[in-house]
Amino acid sequence: MEVFLKILIASILAIIISVPYSLILPGIERKIQARIQQRIGPPILTPGLWAVLKFWYKKDVEPVAYLPKFYKSLIIFGIIICIFLFLFSTPYWWQILSWGSVLGLIGMLKLEEFLYVLMGSQSQSFLSTTMPVPDLAKGAKGIGIFREFVEQHSAERAIKMMAVGSLPLYIALIVPFAIAKSGMISDVIKIQNPLYFNSSWFSLPIPSSPIIFTVPGFLSAIVYFIGYVILLNERPFNILKAKVDVIEGGILEYAAKLRAGYYIIRNLMLFILSSIFVTLFIGIPFDPFIPLCMIINIVLSLIMPIALSVFVAFSPIFTFRQIYPTAIGFSAIGAFALIISMI
Amino acid sequence: MSKKIIEKEISIGPVHPALIEPYRIRFFVNDEIVEDCEININMAYRGIERLLEGLPVEKALLITERICGICSNVHAWNSVRVVESGLKIEVPERANYIRVLINEIQRIASHLIFFGHAFEVIGHETFAYRSFLLREVFMDLMAYIGGNRVMPSVPVIGGIRPRADLTDTLKRVILERVNDFEKKYKEYVDRILADPMVMSRLTGVGYLSKEDAIRYHAVGPTCRASGVNYDVRTLMHEYKPFDFEVIVLTEGDNRARIVQRALEIFECLKIIRQVIKNLPEGPVVNRNWTIREMPFTTAYFEAFRGELMHSYALDSQGLIRNYKVRTPTPTNLAAMEKACIGDHITDAVVTIASCDPCLTCCTRIEVVESGKTKVMSDIEIVRKYGWRR
Repeated sequence: MEVFLKILIASILAIIISVPYSLILPGIERKIQARIQQRIGPPILTPGLWAVLKFWYKKDVEPVAYLPKFYKSLIIFGIIICIFLFLFSTPYWWQILSWGSVLGLIGMLKLEEFLYVLMGSQSQSFLSTTMPVPDLAKGAKGIGIFREFVEQHSAERAIKMMAVGSLPLYIALIVPFAIAKSGMISDVIKIQNPLYFNSSWFSLPIPSSPIIFTVPGFLSAIVYFIGYVILLNERPFNILKAKVDVIEGGILEYAAKLRAGYYIIRNLMLFILSSIFVTLFIGIPFDPFIPLCMIINIVLSLIMPIALSVFVAFSPIFTFRQIYPTAIGFSAIGAFALIISMI
Repeated sequence: MSKKIIEKEISIGPVHPALIEPYRIRFFVNDEIVEDCEININMAYRGIERLLEGLPVEKALLITERICGICSNVHAWNSVRVVESGLKIEVPERANYIRVLINEIQRIASHLIFFGHAFEVIGHETFAYRSFLLREVFMDLMAYIGGNRVMPSVPVIGGIRPRADLTDTLKRVILERVNDFEKKYKEYVDRILADPMVMSRLTGVGYLSKEDAIRYHAVGPTCRASGVNYDVRTLMHEYKPFDFEVIVLTEGDNRARIVQRALEIFECLKIIRQVIKNLPEGPVVNRNWTIREMPFTTAYFEAFRGELMHSYALDSQGLIRNYKVRTPTPTNLAAMEKACIGDHITDAVVTIASCDPCLTCCTRIEVVESGKTKVMSDIEIVRKYGWRR
């Protein structure tokens, strides 16, 4: 009972801290991009916190989906997936079954990726095929050809990204576990930060041998970053929501509360993947009962969003002509790191 | 002969965040590859030619300058060139120099807005913003010379407005700004060309061969980037005093179309310096003319996107009759459709943007009757299909 209570309180604390914190990150991201582009940029809280609140109170618009209720529920699924992904990486969940393992993390990430396929296949906004334009007038090209919504095309792209695009992240994610020769996150922490398991609530367990400072760890950290950008659908890998053709892709029709929910998912992913990186590659987990450890995890998890915003500011959108070789190339680097880690 | 199999159609626009103007693009694709394309521009009909019908020619400038916000001076200048050529009105040399100056300033501003749009479509916001920042120099110069950043209203029949005359201070300011701009612009272009990610999106994509450029009547930078040496400025007597090169590239891809404009800006700077250096003394406007009946007269001009045509006649009272404008974009549309084929959809949108379409000024209606295409004038369209019917 005591263990259950501890897990419950730790989970509630983790959610209470991570959700509001994640809402600050997009503001930092946008501010950095704006400064690079010689603009002032929005106030720090606007793109994350105020945008979510603003959308929360907007008038709802019913999406034109095949299964509207299912389409709307995907946002709730997304938030649940993100929260569990984060909880699996926090220490009190490591002991439950084998969720605090590489399988738990990758499983949740795959589910999150699959959401975009479902969203895209459901949505059918009026911004493409059904726009009231007389395309099929006499003499027009392509009469009788199957006409696809841009969101459905985005779903096809999401499948391709699931198959190839996200490979680098998963390979990079496996490397710390390969170094620890175990599938459990607790073992990955043990080889980096043995002091953590005996520390009291006010102590700061400093990792003695972070994986990031090893050759395979460093290589896989770079690959992890690329995977991070791909999984967040950010430039240059945002082909499934490329503004120039498929607009927002599957998320196009989310309005009001659902749009706010989508922003929460996106912001949470921005933080969670970064926090997982700090846990696995530096050895400092997000432990709500060891505040200093948690604060260090939060502060270090700024590295990824900051690097992301700089990277995004200097990147165009890649098409699959560039995405395939890039993803395969970084996967190869990740595989090389994996081989070194196992030697 | 094997027939091309097309899996599906993906249509975007006319309401779409990537399109700065309303037009419809229908891509016929296999997976991601565009097999065929249809661009439909008839979304915003403004009836400019109808508005001009029956106006006194001196007042036409008020409307012709508003045909396009990016190339306002081109339309204004070419509109007065028609009447100047039809009625043999002489233009003072100093006025001609200042007309060229404002035109080249606006050409640079137009090419920079093109970079802004093209890089926004590619997804590179930083390059887009830098381009808009660089453009501010020329928007300010237009305001200094003409009194307005977008519509400087410099040309009038017989010369330029006296307020647009260049003082010594203004000449010095223009030179300073231009020199400062050139340094920053060189760095900007070098950075674009050295960026491997941007170049991978542009090189070898949206190919338009020289033969296709000629066959589909591509004009302006679109044809010059495909190896066709055609620039109306070389045929215009207004540009005779100036030494400049016509930039012709042979690659024919999106990169070539961007680089062509990038290099053309250096030639514009060359012309601006020549204007400032060799500006003759004398009056800026010739008032010794009377409006009389004029037969149908046509004037061609090298607008920023290609060949521009204005033509009209004047009746015995000096009122405009049968005004016709042909902007470069409709001439380039077929070339755009051709250049998209064989590329990814995302690249095809960049290809269209690389041809720099400017659509609100070019909407025309074609009527197909009994299998034959009939091009109708605005008046005919309004009479037959318009709101007055």
